[in-house]
Amino acid sequence: MTCLPDKTDKKLGLLIDLNVCVGCHACAVNCKEWNTSSITGPMEDIKPYGDDPSGVWYNRIHSYEFKKEKEADRTVYFPKSCLHCDDAPCVTVCPTGASLKRSEDGIVLVNPDVCIGCKLCSWACPYGAREYDTSAGVMQKCTLCVDKIYDKNIPQERRVPSCVSTCPAGARHFGDFADPKSNVSILAAENDGRDLFSEMKTKPVNKYLPPRKRERHEDRRLTPKVSTVKDALVKWAKLDFSG
Amino acid sequence: MPWSNGLNWIFRGKAMHPALSVIIFTTFSGMGYGLFIWLCGNILNETAPDNMSIVVSSALSIILVGTGLLSSTLHLGHPERAWRAFSQWRSSWLSREGVMSILTFIPMFFICWQTYFELEFGNLIKPVAIAGIVGSIGTIFTTSMIYASLRSIPAWHNVWVVIGYQTYALSSGGVAYIMFSNWQQYLYVILLLIISLIVKIMTWISIDKNRGKYKREDALGLPDFGKAKPFEPAHSQKNYLQREMGYDLDPMRRTLMRWIALGFGFIIPALLLFIGFPLVPVIMLICLIGMLAERWLFFAEAEHVVRLYYDRESV
Repeated sequence: MTCLPDKTDKKLGLLIDLNVCVGCHACAVNCKEWNTSSITGPMEDIKPYGDDPSGVWYNRIHSYEFKKEKEADRTVYFPKSCLHCDDAPCVTVCPTGASLKRSEDGIVLVNPDVCIGCKLCSWACPYGAREYDTSAGVMQKCTLCVDKIYDKNIPQERRVPSCVSTCPAGARHFGDFADPKSNVSILAAENDGRDLFSEMKTKPVNKYLPPRKRERHEDRRLTPKVSTVKDALVKWAKLDFSG
Repeated sequence: MPWSNGLNWIFRGKAMHPALSVIIFTTFSGMGYGLFIWLCGNILNETAPDNMSIVVSSALSIILVGTGLLSSTLHLGHPERAWRAFSQWRSSWLSREGVMSILTFIPMFFICWQTYFELEFGNLIKPVAIAGIVGSIGTIFTTSMIYASLRSIPAWHNVWVVIGYQTYALSSGGVAYIMFSNWQQYLYVILLLIISLIVKIMTWISIDKNRGKYKREDALGLPDFGKAKPFEPAHSQKNYLQREMGYDLDPMRRTLMRWIALGFGFIIPALLLFIGFPLVPVIMLICLIGMLAERWLFFAEAEHVVRLYYDRESV
């Protein structure tokens, strides 16, 4: 049913620390590896070894260079996957009921047996979290590894999404945002956890920790001093000793 | 100027990938519902032309809407599951549109059938005509809301889109209805063509002024870290998002298509009606070409905010 639940018992989601992420793409690779052989797989790969490979990924690692006055530039690696929004527009637009938000844990899923492949959900999502599988004719998206986090055959401590368990830097955290005492809620509250694109009024569950503020605000880039013999002679000739 | 590429040049680049089937669907069904509203209006004020005209015009609206609906299933990944789209009317405008369009077939078929067989049901035709008007307006409204409800596409999240879908349906349907009504109300049709023209221009003014409202830094949730620009691409080749939503509309092509939409869709039909041009099907065809251009632009001009994560500083 594509009506959103009034309230979900849990709000399972990811907390991504942009200050820690090193942009290694391991989370995206392991996501693909787990999910291609899981309940929503295979994840489409067209011409994977050709000149123009394309396919479905649930997680993509962008990177940006931020420039600000009087501060050194900074590079921010920016992993982006489904944010499992509370007010998920991708769910309500679905005409068939294939898109759904689970009332027990808030995970947003697509039922591939019901999806008609109209692509409207991918238009409704401001984050580009949904990608269309051209071979299967259905929409695909991050499942928060729903088949892994509840699997009783896996030891309790490893029941986290693949992107979280694989992250070598510890930039990704998984937990219940509805519980104010959970690891992710505390991290988000103490470190200025951010919503992506709050203007879109989607109330995303996933949070991002911004890069840490710099203590020193002056531009610490070194400006090389170009000084040639000719320049020096000209300065002396002008009797100008500035700079 | 790449004119030599001909049609390929015109239809190549687009912002939202405008599936031809969706363009044909919204244009044809809009004209069909507009035509049916004019017919029902005339049935209500008892100025409807002879029975044959009622039969043919209601049949034409059924054909236009039916062609549109069938064509709309062509872009689906699983057309055989299209029936499932009637189930989620409580939340989805697309589903509501499906339900409304099927319901509106009832008065359409009823009026066609009753008039063709000259059956007498007392004055039942009048309530049916009212149902036809309500159903048609409702279906056009649900179609427009599919687009207007998407906050992620600022050019569509706009009240002019909702107004426009109604007026374009009425003006293009009105042009078609002239064929059957012996020019009785050609002045009203001209009036609607002028209203549609104004609405279209207002829509363009509104979306052009609102362009650039959202910034990349908002999309990243980091508005306080200065100006962001992409560093390493997230993937080496274009993905589904960029293929579906990532094209640029050439400004010159936009101007050309805007003039085709205005000229063929509203101005030329209005002038031809005014001078009493006798071949109404030709006027209808010209209007249809204009409406197709208008609908193509509707998709091609709409920019999706997901581009902020890729190549756009603002959308």
